[in-house]
Amino acid sequence: MNKTPTLTTLSATALALALGTALALSAAPASAADDKEKCYGVALKGKNDCAAGPGTTCAGTAKADHQGNAWKYVPKGSCEKTASPTSPTGLGQLAAFKEKKS
Amino acid sequence: MSDQRIFAAALLDPDAPCPAGLTAWNGSDPIQRFAVYRNNVIVSLINALAETFPVTQELVGEEFFRAMAGVFARAAPPKSALLAEYGQGFPAFIERFKPARGVPYLADVARLEMLRVRAFHAADADPLPPDQISQALADSERLPALRVTCHPSLGVLSSRYAVVSLWAAHQGLGDLARVEPGVPETALVARVGLEVQVVALPPGGDALVASFLRGLTFGEAAALAASAAAEFDLTANLALLLRYGVLTDLRLPAEVSP
Repeated sequence: MNKTPTLTTLSATALALALGTALALSAAPASAADDKEKCYGVALKGKNDCAAGPGTTCAGTAKADHQGNAWKYVPKGSCEKTASPTSPTGLGQLAAFKEKKS
Repeated sequence: MSDQRIFAAALLDPDAPCPAGLTAWNGSDPIQRFAVYRNNVIVSLINALAETFPVTQELVGEEFFRAMAGVFARAAPPKSALLAEYGQGFPAFIERFKPARGVPYLADVARLEMLRVRAFHAADADPLPPDQISQALADSERLPALRVTCHPSLGVLSSRYAVVSLWAAHQGLGDLARVEPGVPETALVARVGLEVQVVALPPGGDALVASFLRGLTFGEAAALAASAAAEFDLTANLALLLRYGVLTDLRLPAEVSP
């Protein structure tokens, strides 16, 4: 077997500093989309967010515009300011709702 | 050719004659019935591609996309029964598809979308617990020799184009008119919980992740990434990888494979 060439490596000190700082920076393990919120009732048909691909029952399955149980990611704080004609409040909501007849 | 092969080939070739020996249950013309079936096959494949590549479709419009997808589907029908995985060769096809030359970033946007579907169906893995990182830091002498394991859903795409910004602008995040397509971006695609996330990796992040995946040690991977990109920032890259929970293990090689 050929001897594998020695790879350079970063020093333990440099690694510890970077990893320690990174750990502190990521301390609040902001899971999904921390600057976004799920907004119900604002997605146009077929445009609801999901990534399961074809042959699944998920992606782009909203059958009508502004479906009350279909959600979309929007920038945080903007959901309840987005117009939704089917919503009882007239605006997007942070939870699924029963559509009013329009 | 066997009857079945003739039948399958005729399904994808609109100029092929209707296979011999077909009969319709209600006595109608088999040629017409076969044409309906042939149409359904190709339309279902085009629909499948449209579901996997929605932004690619938005970039060129439905008519162009469906025509292009039809050429691809006839040339490269699915080899697997899993429709969700169909289209892995589509980005490379787009790259060679002359009419799409005017949209040079189209193939990379398609690659990004394929990575999203792959990430969605990848296995689960728990992110690296903070106390395991603290333990590693407490024994920092060993840090350079540690192996980093990544989440199975993780995918990285280095592009000469602004793939992340282009994709995001089509999700209503950011203004498409202000995206400069020619700015290179590296996309990190990973599933966080149940949702697939797409974020831009800082410079050198692609080399760092690729080195982790190759099984290089932490120290080697960091050094390699630093030599790959002048403005490599290890802290920024690690912070992003930790934030999205894509690092799942950190231990000595001997402990990884006993």
